[in-house]
Amino acid sequence: MKKILVFVVLVFTILSFAKTKIQFWHAMGGWRIEVIQNMVNEFMKLNPDIEVEVQYVGSYEEILAKTVAAVQAGTPPHVVQLNEISTQKMVDSGVIVPVQDLVDKDPSFDVGLFLPQVLNYYRVGGKIYSMPWNTSTPLLYYNKSLFKEVGLDPNNPPRTYSELIEACKKLVKKDDKGNIIRTGITWPLYAWFFEQYMALQNQPLVDNNNGRTAKATKVVFNNQAALNFMNLWNTLTKEGLMINTKRADWTAARQLFISQTVGMLISSTSDVALLINESAKQGFELGTAFLPLPDGTARGGVIVGGGSLWIIKQKNPAEVDAAWKLVKYLAEPEPQIIWHKSTGYFPIRVDAIQKLQVQGYYKDNPHHLTAILQLLTSVQNYNTNGAIIGAFPEVRNAIDTATEKMISGTLTPKQALDEAEKNANKAIKEYF
Amino acid sequence: MKKSKRKGVKIIFTETLLLVSSLIIFAPIFLAIVMSIQPPEFVFSYPPRFLPQGFFPKNYSDAFKIVPFARMMLNSALIAVLITLGKLITGSLSGYAYANFKFKGDKITFYILFATLFIPAEIVLIVPLFKIVSRFGWTNTYWSMTIPFMASATNTFLMQQHFKTIPKEFEDAAVIDGATKMQYFTKIILPLSRPIIAGAAIINFTYAWNMYLWPLIVAMEDRMKTVQVAINMIMNAESSNNWGIIMAGTVIALTPTLILFFALQDLFVKSLVQSGIKG
Amino acid sequence: MIKKILPYLLLIPTFVIIALFIYYPAYESFSSSFYRISVFGNRKIFVGFQNYLNLFQDKDYINAISFTVVYTSITVVASIFISFFLALLLDQKVPGARIYRTLIFAPYAVSHAVAGALWSFLLNPVVGHVNYLSRILFGIQTQWLTTRPYAAYSLFFASIWKTLPFNVIFYLAALQSISSEVIEASIIDGASSWTRVWKVVFPLVSPITFYLVIMSIISSMFQSFAIIDVMTKGGPGGYTTNMIYKLFMDGFRFQKTGLAAAENVILFLIMMVVTVIYFTFAQKKVHYQ
Repeated sequence: MKKILVFVVLVFTILSFAKTKIQFWHAMGGWRIEVIQNMVNEFMKLNPDIEVEVQYVGSYEEILAKTVAAVQAGTPPHVVQLNEISTQKMVDSGVIVPVQDLVDKDPSFDVGLFLPQVLNYYRVGGKIYSMPWNTSTPLLYYNKSLFKEVGLDPNNPPRTYSELIEACKKLVKKDDKGNIIRTGITWPLYAWFFEQYMALQNQPLVDNNNGRTAKATKVVFNNQAALNFMNLWNTLTKEGLMINTKRADWTAARQLFISQTVGMLISSTSDVALLINESAKQGFELGTAFLPLPDGTARGGVIVGGGSLWIIKQKNPAEVDAAWKLVKYLAEPEPQIIWHKSTGYFPIRVDAIQKLQVQGYYKDNPHHLTAILQLLTSVQNYNTNGAIIGAFPEVRNAIDTATEKMISGTLTPKQALDEAEKNANKAIKEYF
Repeated sequence: MKKSKRKGVKIIFTETLLLVSSLIIFAPIFLAIVMSIQPPEFVFSYPPRFLPQGFFPKNYSDAFKIVPFARMMLNSALIAVLITLGKLITGSLSGYAYANFKFKGDKITFYILFATLFIPAEIVLIVPLFKIVSRFGWTNTYWSMTIPFMASATNTFLMQQHFKTIPKEFEDAAVIDGATKMQYFTKIILPLSRPIIAGAAIINFTYAWNMYLWPLIVAMEDRMKTVQVAINMIMNAESSNNWGIIMAGTVIALTPTLILFFALQDLFVKSLVQSGIKG
Repeated sequence: MIKKILPYLLLIPTFVIIALFIYYPAYESFSSSFYRISVFGNRKIFVGFQNYLNLFQDKDYINAISFTVVYTSITVVASIFISFFLALLLDQKVPGARIYRTLIFAPYAVSHAVAGALWSFLLNPVVGHVNYLSRILFGIQTQWLTTRPYAAYSLFFASIWKTLPFNVIFYLAALQSISSEVIEASIIDGASSWTRVWKVVFPLVSPITFYLVIMSIISSMFQSFAIIDVMTKGGPGGYTTNMIYKLFMDGFRFQKTGLAAAENVILFLIMMVVTVIYFTFAQKKVHYQ
């Protein structure tokens, strides 16, 4: 009996010393690899019984593809960062542990401290499935120095489409042979901006309250609001006021802005830190502003984009616990503040923002403030919470493809919308 | 006189054409090397520059900072060597079977082998292939990245083509000397085939070194990733506005195959000349 | 006895590997082409030939097929002729031929993805070298990768660039194994040298052409997805999406396993048909020495 007891005690001591090993896959390249590794190191210091293997995988698409392969092979990773449009897919996947289940069991976790604007996106049917983490919205960046040079007011960035077009016209510069060597604006060719402009005009993307009261059955974007945006894009392109990148080429868009080939850029708030650095290096003054609106429309809101952390089901419940601890840690105020400062992604908690405010951070960092104000002043409803669609990547693909056809002159804005609608509806119907 | 003048014109003509086309063909690689040692301002200067100014090695140290390149180079090298060896062994064995034996089913098995050219598993069968590999318990091992690719139709053809050119008399002589079929293969055929084996090795190594999609999906940990995955990671690092770093990664990745190629090109061409490849 | 089974023993290593790692997964993929399968494979319903029917009713897929035909024929034909021509020049052994050969072989060492990245950079609309030169030389200022038809031209160019060296190497080897008098005779004889090249030399290397055409078709049918993914992402508006890129998108970006499997089967069948036709017709024209 005694022997058994000794054995049991021994086993327990060994077990308690044995580290739980978990894998964390993320898509945040560049200098952010180090930022994340440091945050995780801090976590491991606080939780010596957990060992986290951090892997920078590449793009979100690659994380998803690898997760699918790993799960089917029976060796799932523990925590994966996926982009916001994978939400419904993961909810339907059957391979994840909903964060809500873990929240409900964990009294130390207070959902009330999170920004409702952020939480509302990741809440599907009243349930939070993944932990919001890297959260961003689009922002208008502009080159104050160039604005001054061409006689635009650097403190009065364009607020409407017509003001935007005027500003672009002034920014155009040609060489003596008549070639355009500088022009107005660029943004990555990516349907995310289309979605944002629907929400900004307080319009849904899909039916059933943006797929939030029941599964979306069709898109509802073929209307004046979308046409406003597509017309703008078409006009800017046709008149040489905008340079288009290839699909989802964020890097190219940033390069155009940094190299001062364009005077304005619409991109994610997650570029704030990077653009502050690069503009200083290039010697121009950076400005940030809310997205310009179509003339005569009321401002709705912006949708949060970015990514969230998903916990994948495991055979060993201890590993799920460890994964939850990590996810919870990454959402705490301190890591969130570090994350915000070094990237420009929002803090997702009210207490983190308050802390920064008290420290006077936003006074010194007006660009971070613009970004957060745009989100905080957003109207909150189904339209601005963002759409939930299983076939979201395909819907974006449909919009992008149609847009490409529009800017290459094969389709008019209206025809592009018709085609995008048709293909998006087909994708939604085929989603399984 | 007239003939030699015409010959001179011919040489100048050939020379010019070769100079122009080799410059055009090499330009992208040359510019990649130039970019990789220049600061970002250089990359974005307008008009674009073609020649380097000064030396800026930071791109390389940055590339090494973003991904563990040294380890990934080692992985790529190991994987490429294993695949090459495997392909040479399976290819020479099966090439010998098809070149020197008539047996029941030789035609049909040959077609079955040939058809694998239309099923590049590492591109089109990733998920089912990955399931099998993990059933063997090979996830996160070198086996998953090597064994499935250790046989190919191309190697079999190259070997078979060459073995066929070895005169039948050699075999008859060996048989008279009492050698078995396998002894004939190892003692006579293989030594006579050194050039084609070298040629095939270069093709196999380059192919394996440049494998892209499969390692991208199945290498789950940094310690298993390859150089091609490393480049993908650098290019995907949203933050890297700096083409210099991407080019540095690219140059690192293609240096081994370039060197291999530069060093062995004479041997390579010679090996193919001797291979009986002309038919 | 052993003599009888020896050839089979020799084939075992090859066939074990292709059975386990090519034909078995191919069979699995084939059977999933009759199902609709959810992202993580947790839900699956039998749909018969629905995936195939969907594909052939899909305008994008039909476009992908036609772009595949255009892309493959242009890159293969151009690559074969240019490489034959370059090999012919290299075979002249003019001064410096070795250096030229080294430079021309170099792209062989580059992977398809890296080739795509290099050309994307050179074709960058703002700071790209090609754009600059084309503006200076021809007055063409364009968005190479994002407009029709330039996106397709860019792809053709990059693909030919990447596949050229492999073909040059084989042609060079083939030319060197032809007795040099034949070539000398055809080259030196001024006026008719062109005709001689096409009437004498090209037929002499026809077995290697036969082999290279097959290999080039395979390369442009299957390996091209990496170049396309890096350079144009199949755009603008699906314009440069070929079959393998569509398969890559459906399989990896949208995780439509069943649909991608059907595309896989179609691709395989097309390759089979093309090869059989090619073998029956081209084989007659191949001159074996």
